[in-house]
Amino acid sequence: MLHTIAIKLKIPDNAAFSALTALRRLGVDVERVERADIWQFAGPGSSDDVATSVKRNESLFNPNKHVLEVLESPSPRAGETWISNIPIPGDVPPGSSAGAAKHYVAWRLFAGHDRPADKATVTSAIEKLLCNPAIERAIT
Amino acid sequence: MSARVAVLVFPGTNSEAETVRICRDVGLDAESVHWSKGASLPKYDAYVLPGGFAYEDRIRAGAIAAHDPMMDYVIEAAGEGKLVLGICNGAQILLEAGLVPGTGAVRKPTAAFTHNAPSGKFICKHVHIKLVAETSRCAITAALPSGTIIPAWSAHGEGRLAATPEHLNEITSGGHLAFVYAHSDGTVDDAAIPNGSALGCAGLTNKRGNILAIMPHAERDAWNFNHPDLADRENILAPSGGAILFRAFAKALS
Repeated sequence: MLHTIAIKLKIPDNAAFSALTALRRLGVDVERVERADIWQFAGPGSSDDVATSVKRNESLFNPNKHVLEVLESPSPRAGETWISNIPIPGDVPPGSSAGAAKHYVAWRLFAGHDRPADKATVTSAIEKLLCNPAIERAIT
Repeated sequence: MSARVAVLVFPGTNSEAETVRICRDVGLDAESVHWSKGASLPKYDAYVLPGGFAYEDRIRAGAIAAHDPMMDYVIEAAGEGKLVLGICNGAQILLEAGLVPGTGAVRKPTAAFTHNAPSGKFICKHVHIKLVAETSRCAITAALPSGTIIPAWSAHGEGRLAATPEHLNEITSGGHLAFVYAHSDGTVDDAAIPNGSALGCAGLTNKRGNILAIMPHAERDAWNFNHPDLADRENILAPSGGAILFRAFAKALS
């Protein structure tokens, strides 16, 4: 079973704000950007048990600045893209010491009135800024 | 009259002082240009993007800075054939801007200096880089014979050249590889590469040869006091090996 955990900042996210500013400058029509680390764990047990375990791992989660959410779907939501590094042989994937099977950075884009951005907007954001195809892959 | 060189300062740049200083030491009229003064950039003859953590490496190292309005001027100037040198974070910015290796469109990167392998950790280490580009290939190094060894400091968490196999082939076949990591005697092997960089790459140039992106800091080995061997204890401010690169840069601008 695959357990998907999102960890995002509860303090202001400067990276998300910079992404918002840069995307607007590049002509991508977004009103708000949220960023989260997505950690996926494969194994038995409930996702809540995995979340409890992650909350105890201070290399992944700091209760003073993070909030944790268990995601029902193992794939991006509407208006969202997940970016991962293309692995290279011998590389040590982030979070592997904590047992994570996969790590993504999630960028969730919102249009006016907090609506998730449409697919074309997300694709434009990926191509113009959020993903360097030489080293990263984006899924939507 | 000395060539005027702008050393660009983005929010988070941290190597502008020593970069300006070595440029001045080799006779260039260099000054730092703050990101809010980008409109002044067209008047300069050449541009240096120094090291640091522009925009805190948000999204990816160099990604936000590559889209900073200052880079609009640099991209235009590079298109006119003016010289552009990027060091460390400056090199990362040039790759994110698609200027180097320049095998794709502007701001459509085809390669990156990304997380070191296999550790994934920041590395601070004294290294040597070897010029592998032909003398005529890159204007900035044209005064140096191919095979020149330059001492420098690697200080980066993301210095590994990475690209698809197709783009790595283009880098090789197009002669974009300017510097590789080497031992002090010039031998090249995997042990000399501190970060797992593809092709042993320490520096890349573009198709036209007017842009050079190098990861190690030659400017941090430009005076005796910051060279590990401290070759001349009587004169700690005497030029050290890293100054070679900047002398060549000055000669290219003379």
